[in-house]
Amino acid sequence: MSRSGVHRPKLRSLTLANGLRVLLAPDPTSPTVSVWVWYRVGSKNEWPGITGASHWVEHMLFEGSPRYAKGEIDRAVLKVGGELNAFTDTDFTAYFTTVPRDHLSVPLNIEADRMTRAAISDEEVARERTVIHSEREGNENWPEFRVEEELFQLAFRVHPYRWDALGRRRDIEQMTAEQLREYYRRFYGPKNAVLVVVGGFDPRTTETEVRRRFSKLPPWGDNVEVPDIEPPAAGERRSTLHGPGTTPYLQVGWRSPALTDPATPATLVLDTILGGESRVFSAGMGWRGRREHPTARLYRALVDKGLAVRATSGWNPRFYPSLFTVQAQAAPGVSLDRLERALDRVIERLSRDGPTSKEMSEVRTRIRRGAALAYEGATTTGFRLGYFATLRSVTLEDELYRSLLRVSSRAVRAQAQAIFRTDSRVVVRYEPTGEVGDE
Amino acid sequence: MSEKLSPLKIEYGEEIDGLTVARQPAPAGVASFSATYVGPAGWGFDPVAEGGTARVANHLLTSGAGRYDRRGLARVLDRAGATLTTECAPESAEVTIWGPAADWKKLLGLLADVVLKPRFASEDLVRVLRQVSERQLRELSQPASRADRELLRATYPEGHPYRSSGLGDARSVARLTPEKIRRFHRGHYTSGDAVLVVTSSAHLPAVEAAARHLFSSFAERRSPKLYLPPVRPRSARTLKVALPGRSQVEIRIGGDSIPRSDPEYAAAFLANEVLGGRAQLSRLFQRVRERGGLVYHASSELEAMRFGGYWAVGAGTGSERWKKVVPLLAKELEQMRLRDVAPSELRQVRESAIGEIPLALESTSDAHELAVDVTYQRLPGDYLFGWPAELRAVRPRDVRAAVDRAMDPRHAVTVLAGPLSGS
Repeated sequence: MSRSGVHRPKLRSLTLANGLRVLLAPDPTSPTVSVWVWYRVGSKNEWPGITGASHWVEHMLFEGSPRYAKGEIDRAVLKVGGELNAFTDTDFTAYFTTVPRDHLSVPLNIEADRMTRAAISDEEVARERTVIHSEREGNENWPEFRVEEELFQLAFRVHPYRWDALGRRRDIEQMTAEQLREYYRRFYGPKNAVLVVVGGFDPRTTETEVRRRFSKLPPWGDNVEVPDIEPPAAGERRSTLHGPGTTPYLQVGWRSPALTDPATPATLVLDTILGGESRVFSAGMGWRGRREHPTARLYRALVDKGLAVRATSGWNPRFYPSLFTVQAQAAPGVSLDRLERALDRVIERLSRDGPTSKEMSEVRTRIRRGAALAYEGATTTGFRLGYFATLRSVTLEDELYRSLLRVSSRAVRAQAQAIFRTDSRVVVRYEPTGEVGDE
Repeated sequence: MSEKLSPLKIEYGEEIDGLTVARQPAPAGVASFSATYVGPAGWGFDPVAEGGTARVANHLLTSGAGRYDRRGLARVLDRAGATLTTECAPESAEVTIWGPAADWKKLLGLLADVVLKPRFASEDLVRVLRQVSERQLRELSQPASRADRELLRATYPEGHPYRSSGLGDARSVARLTPEKIRRFHRGHYTSGDAVLVVTSSAHLPAVEAAARHLFSSFAERRSPKLYLPPVRPRSARTLKVALPGRSQVEIRIGGDSIPRSDPEYAAAFLANEVLGGRAQLSRLFQRVRERGGLVYHASSELEAMRFGGYWAVGAGTGSERWKKVVPLLAKELEQMRLRDVAPSELRQVRESAIGEIPLALESTSDAHELAVDVTYQRLPGDYLFGWPAELRAVRPRDVRAAVDRAMDPRHAVTVLAGPLSGS
């Protein structure tokens, strides 16, 4: 095996007459099959009053359809030893099921059935409301969630990125079953979906089985452009939250480009240099993994110097301009003023001098190495193929890979100067109140 | 079944000064390799009044070893496309390296350096202690970790290895010095009672030869013995920890349980799966979330370790709803104790547990995790082949009997941590 390049499995790609994109990636050695359905619907498609609808619909798609009564989707998968789950993001919602290879028909039947025929009954919506509340409450227990929610709310005044995919509390309380059904009918369907099948299956038989189940579905599912364009920020925005916690916490955000922007590769490199995570090409951990990066700039300037116990950056390419963020948890006894000044110095220096040639070389090595082992296992493969296909196409990965390796130090510096402007900066601080609870 | 699972067969090599060497074939088609050292270095071995020693020592292993300082080690891993992770538990501590299969010998050498020649530099200790201090605060202020902490403290007596989370407290970690950490390392990252597990396409003799070459310079061969004071059963009781300003109350119900080697383990495993371990098939998920709509998460775990174990039911809910949820959880536990599980329910849960075994063959990491568990528990190399038959031999009445021994609600501690309005 070569040590560089994207080692994506061979694919059979087709589009059904109703608009469903299908990717089949057979791997005769795999003991499992993983079926993913990605819909290009997420919190970007919501509006005030129904924030959190995408996430709620995600829950409802496990609650019954003509073929499966409540609870039967879970039972059908688990009884053959499979696993299933789903997640909702700003730009997409994804459902996946992985089963031993002899049971491919189970997830195919489920996905075909719930693509256009989920029940979403009044009774089940009422019952699920408390579950959704509970999920949100669990997140609210974390200061990091509260800070990030505040950050996006401050940064965006028009664009739907201003609310979290979980939705606002008030909307969760008031949204009706009919609103959820309308939302589902509008955005869900083959025309707005990508079906990915990966693992141990025969491609010809499976293509026939896919066509048999999905071709007859109506061509539903709008993939709509978000019409709201966020105007440029006029000045820095700040907020301070207070509540229980450990040590002060800080998150700073700057407007960042959309996925289609030519500056996307340079922005990804900027994120790697500051925070250490090489995101889409990250060895071993996937891009949601968290680990310490002692060579990253934020870590060296804040954690090594005793100002923070954690410090990193975050940026994922999205359909629309979003935020590039950095976050740091203060070390005990360190004030947020001191932490913020140190963080400013890191940003200023990177904007002024750009990355060193050694940093650029290290980033390239990590991207090459990460890409070489990115596809291991049917579930991970299904995730990667679906992710890139939903954002644009599977070849986006190759383009990103090639352009990441070509990004120059000068381009990264220029992008740092373009992003890290104080007049478009948003700062949210969290000051803990210090209680640790009585027994 | 057995042919499909053949990559899960573990081969044991000859011991190297007491170090057990085990090799598992890599799953078909994968290009990665993984190796783990597990030694008797968990926080159950923390010196008296120096709580936190084991976790700090384990964490520091990734902060430089041999000729590499912390950044040097990070760079060499990045260049190799490899990752190094550590994990500490009450009984043991482990270090795992993962990376390209083609470089397995080089990566195994790096693992040996990390295990045998860590630097424990003063500046790294200072940094890790700052991080530990923040985690201690988090453990106290975060409802989920606070509930876990109080459950174990209420279940186990002073001095019991399972009583703490291993983080120590402000005073105990303030006493730690590089020399104390080195001393702990010498005595506990030993060859005796330790295992080295390798998941690789390389054959056992090659793995053994490499291990003999790389892991032959342990300072100690002795096997430290873990002391578990007796746990006296007490009647059920409830603890409440008020954490105002939070949104959700975390609930835990649990107690002492059996070790993995217990003859009733298979029945206890299935009891836990029926109750809350088998995700969406379990009673807690079905009845508390799906039917009651009261929680987002409700599950149970059976932590059966080598020398002992504990069980816990966990759920999170709103500041008012906990009053409805706690009786529901208690009722489900009581049902497990009083009534036999229906044969159809047992069959469904059991076949699900058996059916999922091939999912572990998706990647080196998944397969390796199973191999480390089997090897650490000193189970036979073909253990996973016999596991389905062991589960199929369990009858409904065995499950009920196992609940009495392994998950007995009559001696359980209930902990509530969070915004307890109206309590």
